[in-house]
Amino acid sequence: MKRHLRLFLLYFAQYAKVRMAYKADFFIAVISSMTATVLGFGFVLVLFSKIPRLQDWSFYEVLFLYGFSLVPLGFFNVISWNLYEFGDVYIIQGRFDRILLRPVHTLFQILFEKFRLESLQEVLTGTVVIAVCVQRLRLAWHGADYLWFALMVACGAVIYVSVFLILTAVSFWFEDRVGIVPPVFNMLTFGRYPLTIYNVFIQFMLSWIIPFAFASFYPTTHFLRRESFESLFHLVPVVAASFFVLALIVWERGVRNYSSTGS
Amino acid sequence: MGAGTYPLQPRPSLVGTSLARVARVYAEFVRVGFVNTLAYRLRYYTGIVTYFIYVSVYYFIWKAIYADSASIQGFDFGQMLTYISVGWIIRSFYFNNIDQDIAYAVMEGKLAMDLIKPVNPQFMYIAQALGESLFRLGMLTVPTAVVLLLVYPIRKPASALHFTGFFASVLLSFFIVAAINFAVGTFAIRLQSILGLLRAKYFLLELFSGLLIPISFFPRIFVDIFAVLPFEYISYVPVLIYLGKLSGWGIARALTLQVFWILVLFALGDAMWRWSSRKITIQGG
Repeated sequence: MKRHLRLFLLYFAQYAKVRMAYKADFFIAVISSMTATVLGFGFVLVLFSKIPRLQDWSFYEVLFLYGFSLVPLGFFNVISWNLYEFGDVYIIQGRFDRILLRPVHTLFQILFEKFRLESLQEVLTGTVVIAVCVQRLRLAWHGADYLWFALMVACGAVIYVSVFLILTAVSFWFEDRVGIVPPVFNMLTFGRYPLTIYNVFIQFMLSWIIPFAFASFYPTTHFLRRESFESLFHLVPVVAASFFVLALIVWERGVRNYSSTGS
Repeated sequence: MGAGTYPLQPRPSLVGTSLARVARVYAEFVRVGFVNTLAYRLRYYTGIVTYFIYVSVYYFIWKAIYADSASIQGFDFGQMLTYISVGWIIRSFYFNNIDQDIAYAVMEGKLAMDLIKPVNPQFMYIAQALGESLFRLGMLTVPTAVVLLLVYPIRKPASALHFTGFFASVLLSFFIVAAINFAVGTFAIRLQSILGLLRAKYFLLELFSGLLIPISFFPRIFVDIFAVLPFEYISYVPVLIYLGKLSGWGIARALTLQVFWILVLFALGDAMWRWSSRKITIQGG
């Protein structure tokens, strides 16, 4: 554990140095990334300039949900960079050989070899938005709320990592010529609005098949003191742990199935 | 890219060259763009799913909102659903990645190839993008439209005349987006990496073009500002024509302004390319 922590810090420091080699470039990346995130709020802001509420959700409640969806996603974006090009770079070009030669878990290397540092702004932006909403909605957070918040963010990030890890692991068996990741990635948009506006089919899918609702909606209902989803809120850590275990199993099987490019 | 087949000669100015020859050259780029996209045709199946997801999210949001009121800002639910759906359907045609293509050409050092071709680089990139868009029209736009029409109660165009105007307007949207993307893409030449910048531009166009929400929903000050910018001519204006919210002279005026913006943006892109290409460093070698 201690060795892995040290390795993580070394990986992180190493990659940060690479990015800091072009300081202006990194600065522009952070600013553009932040602009993109803020523009993402545009739809909600414009919409609520003309309507009072979305179902029984007020402006600041929807804003809270949107803000909360950004925080675990931001952490996921920081470490998910390698997952996007995994099929092309590691499997087709055979770079996974190198990963297998090192005495550290394969997943550890894949996730922590590259960091999308600028995505940390999403964590920051989301947190600021949540803080504003907490104040405007007079939610009066206690110590326990902060702990739950930290736990929920961690669980949300684990859920995102698990879902996309499973999809990434598919490339151990097939060359993904269809591109199954983008549609699933776009389904994240569903998680930014109250689950109750969708039909039963989508609600079920977002809860039990691709459990994005457990990464944003169910945690949010707890913080907004909406009691009706409390039992599902308590399931969040269970869902996160289950999907993570499932992802690990699929990944391990994939690694065993890996045969190099053979050149 | 098939560019080697052209004899090298001084860059032709558009004036004084046989127009047919120029058209032939750029038609070849259109063909190349079309054929290059062929390799990724499988990706379009999931593209249809992606567009379907986008429209569905907004379908449910608006459905929840219209449960309380019959009309908002002059749109009833049927019109709003049609607005959103048609907006995404035409987006699958008019969008392109010229800015990204330039960014990758810079990163991979391929930009040198663009410079030695005896053609106008802006028109070359736009011609290729047109080829891609024509390919997408068949592989993505039409299937997406069919799927959405089957699932959601989308309205028909206001009239045959409106549909004709809409069709012309969408074609012009393509050129507006292409010219904007080319101009933004030229920044890649001076900056190390512009992929983050492109992501911001992507969200900006989504919002300011009226794709996510009609421009008339914005606060007054934004509506006034957008009126003197090209963005709302990408999505908002063509869909208004489709819905019949613009008619007669309104359509003629809208199409004229689209052409005006295309010319302005072409000139801007050309100036920016000249400015940037004075500073080109080709990576690797």
